[in-house]
Amino acid sequence: MADFNLNCKGLQCPGPIVQVFKTAKEAQSGDIINVKVTDRGFIKDIQAWCKKTGNELKELNETETEIQVKIQKK
Amino acid sequence: MIGAVAAGTKTAAKIKRENADAEIVVITKDEHISYAGCGLPYFIGGVIEEEKELVVKTPQEFKQITDIDVYTKLEAMSIHSKEKYVLAMDILEGNVKKYSYDKLVLATGATPFIPQIEGADLQGVHTVRTVNDAINIRSLIDKGAVSKAVVVGGGFIGLEVAENLHGKNIEVSIVEFAHHILPSFDEEIALYAQNYMSDQGVNIYTCEKVISIKGEEGRVKKIITDQREIEADLVIMSVGVKPNTKLAEEIGIELGVTNAIKVNNFMETSIEGIYAVGDCAENVNLITGKPAWYPMGSTANKMGRIAGLSMTGDQKNGLKGVLGTTIVKLFKLNAGKTGLSEREAIKQGFEVETVIVPANDKAHYYPGYRQIITKLIADKNTHKILGAQVVGEGVVDKPIDVIATAITFGAKVEDLENLDLAYAPPFSMAMASTILASNALLNKLAGRMNGINSFELKKRLDELLVVDIRDEASYLIRTIPGAIHIPSEELIYRADELKNNEEIVLICKVGKIAYLSYLKLKKLGFQNVRILEGGISSYPYELV
Ligand SMILES: Cc1cc2nc3c(=O)[nH]c(=O)nc-3n(C[C@H](O)[C@H](O)[C@H](O)COP(=O)(O)OP(=O)(O)OC[C@H]3O[C@@H](n4cnc5c(N)ncnc54)[C@H](O)[C@@H]3O)c2cc1C
Repeated sequence: MADFNLNCKGLQCPGPIVQVFKTAKEAQSGDIINVKVTDRGFIKDIQAWCKKTGNELKELNETETEIQVKIQKK
Repeated sequence: MIGAVAAGTKTAAKIKRENADAEIVVITKDEHISYAGCGLPYFIGGVIEEEKELVVKTPQEFKQITDIDVYTKLEAMSIHSKEKYVLAMDILEGNVKKYSYDKLVLATGATPFIPQIEGADLQGVHTVRTVNDAINIRSLIDKGAVSKAVVVGGGFIGLEVAENLHGKNIEVSIVEFAHHILPSFDEEIALYAQNYMSDQGVNIYTCEKVISIKGEEGRVKKIITDQREIEADLVIMSVGVKPNTKLAEEIGIELGVTNAIKVNNFMETSIEGIYAVGDCAENVNLITGKPAWYPMGSTANKMGRIAGLSMTGDQKNGLKGVLGTTIVKLFKLNAGKTGLSEREAIKQGFEVETVIVPANDKAHYYPGYRQIITKLIADKNTHKILGAQVVGEGVVDKPIDVIATAITFGAKVEDLENLDLAYAPPFSMAMASTILASNALLNKLAGRMNGINSFELKKRLDELLVVDIRDEASYLIRTIPGAIHIPSEELIYRADELKNNEEIVLICKVGKIAYLSYLKLKKLGFQNVRILEGGISSYPYELV
């Protein structure tokens, strides 16, 4: 299983989610995608995306300035 | 002075500063004076830990600093305006005392309105107005007696209390009679805040009326609405306040159309020598010039200062009016309003144009920036700004204050657009949110942009073709029910697909890309295109 690390800091919505979307297309089932983001809109987006696609949101950490998520592809 | 919270103590202090020889007596039936009523919700939640922090001064401290006597637990019973004295009941001693005056100030404030429903007198049903109210509620919580609470009324006070109760791990439900919480705001903005509160885990029931409250052994157990039953061991009644005008009415002091005491710019009532300040008195709305009632601490203090000046002979600068500017924090969300809402403006007979524009509070590359949404309301004919609402996790007090200032000086949208506002990345965008909103509103006023607001779009979803022009991922995540997807970069060569439609609405994230695409379609000859103002990020209704 592979780990993908996306640094999407500085990208504004929809930049980060588009990156995740593309990466998920390449990834295999069970792969992990780690994403770092500064755009707050991403939190709702990634939650909704995981719900729709069935991929698992394993971690979501947010600080005042940064959001980190870990996703596992279905 | 009758009343010793914000307005009464402010008036007294100002008189004394202007005239050190003035002999001043302030009486209040309450036990506390000069307290921060606005801090009560935070005391309930323990954010403000100590009672001492709420009560700005004790009567002794007040006397020391100002040389003014304040007597507590003393209730004014009647005013004798011919003979110029007040009779007051000493609540502890049980006897009546007489106080003569040359000038009298009514600063009797307001009292929470309690609906006449069964069970309103049960233990565990509270209002939030005085320090003792807050102490009683907090002690219930600290005893562990509250696991479920219902807040009746979704105005500022109710919402602030709801947030604080939620912070104490109490399951909180809000029941609101109107269509949305924050009833004085326009629907789209209020719903944005409402969705946010729901996401934080507060149950919100709107368009619902409380019918009765049921209890066991004298203690509240549940409340019954016209839709459901909600268990509760604490009920907060926050359905509004009414001005305390009884003393004034008894001696024939004129009330205004809002039922608060009518005063002129210098806080004089209809009886000479008697003044009224703070929540018991009426205001003038600066925009309409008509009477209005804004029971706010900010206004109460100003009225007190002006009454103090005017009583000591300075009648240069009266209070011409206020805008009803308000602001509230709900968890991490901030919502502010100044001037008229769209609804109010229409009711007042204005022909309005409005716009909704999302932006950031700081440069988007500066860490910690947040989105804020600005709704701007202007007079279609004169372009004068009538009001604004700003909501978001970011800084909203600055734009609201800027716009309040602009309205006060009679600004038009064109003036707002060109304001030279402070900018560096940690503070603002190069084009500040207020300026962006003005730009968009001027585009609309000039007919350069044909927008539809979310409220109208929702109503007409069945009749319109909604085209989501964002990227595939965003469309997949959530879109407006029934929307088709054509990414903006494909729109031109796929324009034929839209040819046969009566009315098309383009939607993007904030409205900007939709505006650019709108211009392209216009060039291709489309007459029937509109854009969703504020984009999907300000659309507060159901998404799929
Ligand atoms: C929970 C809460 C939150 C608030 N938050 C805000 C906010 O964020 N921003 C804002 O601007 N405003 C806010 N307000 C409103 C603000 O507190 C009031 O506008 C302000 O207290 C008004 O001051 P006042 O002196 O006119 O009246 P009051 O504070 O009502 O004081 C009047 C006093 O007069 C006494 N009195 C009445 N009748 C008699 C009598 N016959 N004899 C003797 N004494 C009498 C009363 O007991 C009372 O102590 C809030 C209010 C509450 C309750």
